[in-house]
Amino acid sequence: MIRFDKVGFRYDSGPDVLNDIDFELKAGSYHFLTGPSGAGKTSLLSLMYLGHRPTRGNLFMFNQNVGTLPRERLYEIRQKIGIVFQDFRLLGHLSAFDNVALPLRILKRPEKEIRNNVTELLDWVGLGDSKDKLPPTLSGGQQQRIAIARAVITRPKLLLADEPTGNLDDAIGFRLMNLFEQLNRMGTTIVIATHNTHIMEKYGHPRMILAHGNLTLDEHRNKAEETAQGPLTANIKTGTLKHAS
Amino acid sequence: MQADSDPVTSGMIRRLLRLVLGSKGYDLPFKSDTDRNFLLLLVALMSFLAVLACAGTLTLHAMTQRWSSGLENKITIEVKAETPNGEILSPESVKLDTEKIAGMLEGNLAIKSYQVMNEVEIKKLVSPWIGEDFSFDEIPMPGLIAVELSAATPETLETLTQKVLSVAPSARIETHREWLQDILRFVKTLQGLAFLVAMIVVVTTITAISSGVRSRMAIYRNQVEILHLIGAPDPYIARQFQWHAVIVSLLGSVIGTAAGLAVATLIFHLSGKDETALIPEIGLNYGQIAAFIILPLLACLISGTTARFTVLRTLSQMP
Repeated sequence: MIRFDKVGFRYDSGPDVLNDIDFELKAGSYHFLTGPSGAGKTSLLSLMYLGHRPTRGNLFMFNQNVGTLPRERLYEIRQKIGIVFQDFRLLGHLSAFDNVALPLRILKRPEKEIRNNVTELLDWVGLGDSKDKLPPTLSGGQQQRIAIARAVITRPKLLLADEPTGNLDDAIGFRLMNLFEQLNRMGTTIVIATHNTHIMEKYGHPRMILAHGNLTLDEHRNKAEETAQGPLTANIKTGTLKHAS
Repeated sequence: MQADSDPVTSGMIRRLLRLVLGSKGYDLPFKSDTDRNFLLLLVALMSFLAVLACAGTLTLHAMTQRWSSGLENKITIEVKAETPNGEILSPESVKLDTEKIAGMLEGNLAIKSYQVMNEVEIKKLVSPWIGEDFSFDEIPMPGLIAVELSAATPETLETLTQKVLSVAPSARIETHREWLQDILRFVKTLQGLAFLVAMIVVVTTITAISSGVRSRMAIYRNQVEILHLIGAPDPYIARQFQWHAVIVSLLGSVIGTAAGLAVATLIFHLSGKDETALIPEIGLNYGQIAAFIILPLLACLISGTTARFTVLRTLSQMP
């Protein structure tokens, strides 16, 4: 699904943000990405959703090397990915409904299907009554739920979320985490960047830990993952993370 | 979508957009865009200028056609009232020579028609220069014959000249070609200027639209980036800018074209009132007016293509 092969990244001519990252995520896996602030979590996610291209090394997404893929075809990969940005990145002039409908409209789905699916999902995240409201008029938590709804509306193959529960109270936060669990059981690969140890403890998925641009693995979690999902090969030195199954 | 607080054009633009982009309209916040009014005004002004330039070109073309076809087979035979030595001939002598030439023209196959001008007609011709208060006894007047040839070939003119000179050595043939060529050359220069104006209009429009789209892309960079990251292909994003430019240009060019046609019609109407003018009656026929429908379509084509090309080029710099 995703393979980082000695990937390095820096912004323009700045210092390296990520150093020789090596790991592989299998389809259907679920990982937490954690680490201190400024460790490079957002940059790593950005490479995964093709917001940036690696400065060096090879990045494989859906078995395609994004370094050699023509730029005109990268949108095909992006359409398989759902993203929840830390700052939501909603379109402020569009209603909650239109924001969530956007990925479906890009995919040219019929308007009737869009109406049904978006209405249902907004009801599910508790925003059925706010579907015509503009994001700036909603609270941070409500905006976050719109962002999550937009990310999952297409049932993406890969879901990347940057602090998706940061602005939510525990009840709605766990509800949305359950949605991610459900999507994962249906086959969606999930990577969630979070600081929330409570959530990481509760759901117990393997952790990818970033610090100073280097990736390591939480062994304890990997053991748990081995039991739950089959053998996991991990190389702490290189940061390689692989499920054998 | 957000309710629109902008005036009349916003509603029209939104309705047109729903026709072309489906029920959702734009994904980008163009309707709060003040640049749109600038684009509308610019396209309206450019269309206005283009209409005047095209109307001028069409009219000049029609005039030159009329002059050319009207005079190319016509000549004037002048029987001078004085000899090359400066000796003044009597009116009777001039009249006699004129009649001799007329007799020679009669029955000549190369001559389609001819008309010997009488005193009243000659007086009318020269009155702009010497006034009307004169007598033919005071000023020696030439004899004039207006001739229409079947075909004004160089051979016909040469033969006719020899025959005329053999009858009246003081006669001269005026073919009008020299001054007609001068006028045609002048008209062609004007047509060239009109074409230049049209080209300037096109280049200015392209430059302004391209610059407007680039600045709009900078303003909406965040929104464009979101669309890009959630999987919108470049043509999807370009289409938003493209249709915005097309629809605003359509409105602007319809307004500009209508205003231009109204002004051109008024100018032609006023110039047609001047009966003493050298310029024949001018104006646009219904077919030509209908042809101006092409102008808004052309404006849309230029705007849409420019916007699309500019957006695609800018997007190609994104990852």
